[in-house]
Amino acid sequence: MPSPAIQARGVTKTFGRVRALAGLDLDVARGEIVGLLGPNGSGKMTFIRTLAGLIRPESGSIEVLGRSPSRAVADGQVGYMTQAAALYGELTVEENLRFFAALNGVRAAGPRIADALATVDLADRRTSPVNTLSGGMRSRVSLAAALLHAPSVLLLDEPTVGVDPVQRREFWNHFRSLAAAGTTILVSSHVMDEASRCDRLGLIRDGAIVAEGSAARLVERAGAADLESAFLILAEASR
Amino acid sequence: MSVRRVAAVAGRIASQFRRDHRSLGLLVAAPILIMSLIGALWGSVDPASVRVVIAGDGATPPAAALTASLSRAAGLSVRSAGLDAAVASLRDGSADAVVVLAGSPRVIVEGSDPTRTSGTLTALTRALAAALGPATPAPPVEYLYGGPSASLLDSLAPGLIAYFGFFFMFLLAAVSFLRERTSGTLERLLASPLTRGELVAGYLAGFTLFALLQAVILIVFTIAVLGVSYRGGIGAIFVVAAGVATIAVALGLLVSAYARNELQAVQFIPLVILPQGFLSGLLVPVDRLPDLLRPLAGAMPLTYAIEALRAVMVKGYPLGDGLVLRDLAIMAAFGVAALVGAALSIRREVA
Repeated sequence: MPSPAIQARGVTKTFGRVRALAGLDLDVARGEIVGLLGPNGSGKMTFIRTLAGLIRPESGSIEVLGRSPSRAVADGQVGYMTQAAALYGELTVEENLRFFAALNGVRAAGPRIADALATVDLADRRTSPVNTLSGGMRSRVSLAAALLHAPSVLLLDEPTVGVDPVQRREFWNHFRSLAAAGTTILVSSHVMDEASRCDRLGLIRDGAIVAEGSAARLVERAGAADLESAFLILAEASR
Repeated sequence: MSVRRVAAVAGRIASQFRRDHRSLGLLVAAPILIMSLIGALWGSVDPASVRVVIAGDGATPPAAALTASLSRAAGLSVRSAGLDAAVASLRDGSADAVVVLAGSPRVIVEGSDPTRTSGTLTALTRALAAALGPATPAPPVEYLYGGPSASLLDSLAPGLIAYFGFFFMFLLAAVSFLRERTSGTLERLLASPLTRGELVAGYLAGFTLFALLQAVILIVFTIAVLGVSYRGGIGAIFVVAAGVATIAVALGLLVSAYARNELQAVQFIPLVILPQGFLSGLLVPVDRLPDLLRPLAGAMPLTYAIEALRAVMVKGYPLGDGLVLRDLAIMAAFGVAALVGAALSIRREVA
């Protein structure tokens, strides 16, 4: 049996006096889509940044595809979509994608860029400077940039902020087909509609996972009518 | 106009400023620092004595008499040496003028700095007139570098090329790299296989192109439009100017790690750029700096850049000259240190 795509055990991280991660445990199997749900400041973003190799935990162990996060990143196995669309505004959509493709060692980037742009439905804005795009379009370019090198693990920090419902559905259809092809996806979100599309959810609070399971299981466990109330009940119960 | 709204804007600015401790500190520290430097540089009225070497046979009666007479003159320090040794001490800056006593006396001055040359000549001709008597015509003056027609701009130009080249590239590199940080793209770069060393090397390579272009513009404008005369090979001038710009890029990258926004990056100007303008030999020769400040000049990359560029432009030294090579090596060391520092200062962690 292959090792899990993501394996975190007792991960802690403190910033000054703030304990951002307090012994977080999480396993994500290969090809699984897991959603991280939690209020602002609960540690979602810190955990994702840890997986992206940007933060070194103080204690505990964390592995991505059986190696350290920074190793996995250096091997080009990780795609990371930051919450704010981190792109070069003066460059065109295609120039941005070409740059990120080169960084990730993508050879023959042309067809991959065309694919990625088709996926996010921006083929017609290929030559537009990113500065001239709307916030939602920038998010789509940012996602395309994270997909270019076909990473095995995709880390998405609130990927659909500012994206309209139709486009959001398209995004999720695409995430599904990626997962079916074996890509592991970890999504942070506080949009419930989005959370309900994940295979499994981890409810994170004060730097630890306080409840875990499919959306249906969490609703059932909380005895709630929907995911949003279940989220509130479980978060309250964990205090 | 509503007084309340104006007061609200003013009050908001005051509150923001109060929380920006760095800006507040700079507001107090920068003027004190800069004015102290100016005070130390030009405040002390202690004219350095003119160092004269008398070349010729010091044993002959006229030489001995002249030496004795000049030694008594105020503001002159006199010694004798052979002609070759005397000219060598002009070259290395340990003498200001040589009086040659073979046949009719003549004077050789260094000449690369018109201000210093005219000071030297004024003091020396006065003392010579007193020593030789009013009947003797003033001895002819030869210039090792430059000449009587050398303008102040001729001697300032190398320093200005180095200084402004440094200034512009420093600012450009610091602010561009900072934008990488503030726009969030740095986060994305660090979460890719790109290493910190590769990032810094890429920045350096990308900016070097523009640094070279800027060096060409500065040199061509100075020579063709301002009509500054130069002696050395234009290729050598270009190499030194390009080196200056490259160090500036490296330092800009380093400094941008310690700034959170553009305002804080600009605040490094009074700390990094202005003191170098005062101490690196641009305005006051390094050997005339007060003892307290001279070690500071030694710790500044521009000091070596200006010395090398002056050697190449005014004195016509080739790139292979020992002094120029030494300066270029020190500049390279500054550049490498700044680049390593910059790579180390790009933290993956944002606390």
